[in-house]
Amino acid sequence: MDFAWTSEQESFRASVRQFIQDNLPDNWEHIAHGPASKEQSAFAKQFCGALAEAGLLVPHWPERWGGRDADPWIAFILAEEMWMAGEPRGGQYMNVNWIGPTLMLFGSEAQQERYIPPMARGETIWCQGFSEPESGSDLASLRTRAERVGDVYRINGQKIWTSYAGDADTCFLLARTSQGKGGISIFLLPMTTPGITVRDIPSIIGEGDIHEVFFDDVEVPESARLGEEGQAWEIVGKALSLERVGIPRFALASKTLADAVKLLQSRGSFGPGVAEQAAKAHAACEAARLYSYSIIDQRAKGIIAGAEASVGRFATVICERLVSEFVVEHVPEAISGAHPLLLAHHQRGIVAGIASGAAEIQLNLIATQFLELPREPR
Amino acid sequence: MDFALNDDQLAVEGALDKLAERFATSPVDFHGFALVSQELDNELEESQYFEIAAIPEMGPLSAALAVERLARLPYTAEIALSMLVRPHLDLELPRPIAVIENGRPGRYVASAKTLIVIDGDSVGIAHPTPDDVEALPDSLFAYPMGRLTGSPEVTPLPAEQAEAVRNWMRVACAAEMAGLLQAAVDATVEHISVRKQFGRPIGTFQALRHRIAECAVLTGGVRWLALKAAWSGDAGDAALAALHAQDSATRVIYDVHQMSGAMGMTLEMDLHLWTYRMKALISELGGRSGQAQAVAQHCFGASAA
Repeated sequence: MDFAWTSEQESFRASVRQFIQDNLPDNWEHIAHGPASKEQSAFAKQFCGALAEAGLLVPHWPERWGGRDADPWIAFILAEEMWMAGEPRGGQYMNVNWIGPTLMLFGSEAQQERYIPPMARGETIWCQGFSEPESGSDLASLRTRAERVGDVYRINGQKIWTSYAGDADTCFLLARTSQGKGGISIFLLPMTTPGITVRDIPSIIGEGDIHEVFFDDVEVPESARLGEEGQAWEIVGKALSLERVGIPRFALASKTLADAVKLLQSRGSFGPGVAEQAAKAHAACEAARLYSYSIIDQRAKGIIAGAEASVGRFATVICERLVSEFVVEHVPEAISGAHPLLLAHHQRGIVAGIASGAAEIQLNLIATQFLELPREPR
Repeated sequence: MDFALNDDQLAVEGALDKLAERFATSPVDFHGFALVSQELDNELEESQYFEIAAIPEMGPLSAALAVERLARLPYTAEIALSMLVRPHLDLELPRPIAVIENGRPGRYVASAKTLIVIDGDSVGIAHPTPDDVEALPDSLFAYPMGRLTGSPEVTPLPAEQAEAVRNWMRVACAAEMAGLLQAAVDATVEHISVRKQFGRPIGTFQALRHRIAECAVLTGGVRWLALKAAWSGDAGDAALAALHAQDSATRVIYDVHQMSGAMGMTLEMDLHLWTYRMKALISELGGRSGQAQAVAQHCFGASAA
């Protein structure tokens, strides 16, 4: 057991920090306001293009797809630095973390050739068509249908709370091809396909983040299906295992806490009571950090983390909550826009326990798989 | 970084697992609080476990792993201070070691050969005679508690060593708490897996599943922070680990007792052995507010005052 970074990891972190310093504009904190605003999405394309040119967008991908086969630590250090800076990659972090790697595992050659290179160049935005009005945590109940008609699938239904859909080029869509849990398939659906309507839903998270997406007789060829019919569960399971600790939220939470503490110290408002709250939040951030590192360590050794990923995810939810509550109580002007980066954290942090699998579902997984408690009756 | 145990650590873990087998079950006729084993103490002494922090290929991290492992046992002995604090003082300190903090009763005080005497900002060392100390057999804390009745000579430690004592006491507290938390969670998982109400194990009810899962998350976090602090020896890491340990224990103790119901109130279930050890550790070094001030000082670059 060893908690030290290697010199290679340290110099990589330094190079990422330098890149961020050189490439973020002076008005970045205003662009960062709202994680999926038009302004941020447009900047993200430019920023990700520059990252790609510097070899810093997908270093952990295979050489064939524009990477250099760097280990998962490199990808995670990169993600930590990006999140601490307010995630200038915008929605493209999803491509880097799990959509690209999932296509490499399950995509056809044609799908890989079509979709992976633009991701590796930082040119493309994806959205994730999972949740529906009647189907969120109980994903197996989804109703959007993909009906085989001749040599095409005809898709009808609705997705909701879809991040980045307004600017997305492609949707990673779950749709039902037959009845039952095993009847769900995945489609890679260009968002310009006729029959797709996207509607922005105003949200606490900020401009342009959450959407409804309607599918009315949308026709896609069989070649748009990812994997086999009914393989969605297996593919999504793999994708979520990459995603659950893919986002180092603790890094932004920790940075936010440090910024808030500095502000309070500068105005002489960091008394013992406030310090105690800050210290507890800091400890929770560091616990979440070590959990996440332990899972990245497993990944680097070729072990796919099972329920440990849910434990790490919930530790992150705890720290996000403590930091967010600390800012609301002690730097309330941030919520009114006085400190855009603190506000950006608030808006991102608020979804920590909801996005990519509700925290309560993680607790169920921990109870069943990690603590091996008897299952709930169904 | 490498979160797996290396060969030396695996060897220590294997040996401790084997040793622990003999102390893994409390005697059926024991219905008390301080379940102490002199035999366990002797075994650890003879096998030189109290020296492992000073062995270069082992170090404080291996000692913290040992403290965490042994804290999961129903039996206890004076382990954490000897394994994690003593090696950082350049003094010959006979054990058992106990701490007297601002005149309060402490663990192992009545049998201690060395006392760490904390009085406000000063830290000193004393070697009491049996006349200087008194046992407190009626304490609910599941350690042998005692108090100082005499006035043994206290040799003050220089500031640097006093700070080292505080830091390593924090690491020791967190490492021991990690093991106690784990044992309390394990005992509760076992209870709610078999205890049936409304025709099914109560551990199938989501109200309890979520609660115990949150306890498990906190427990693992305390363990990682304790191990990291033992590895780094950093004052900020030590303060964070102790704070998270005391804070998590405060919540977990309540939750595991609530989930264990009346069974956990009885001395027939071992739960109190771990929860009433945790309750003793919660007040160390000023409790949560004391650790928070240390975090403010070492991590936020300023005194909280």
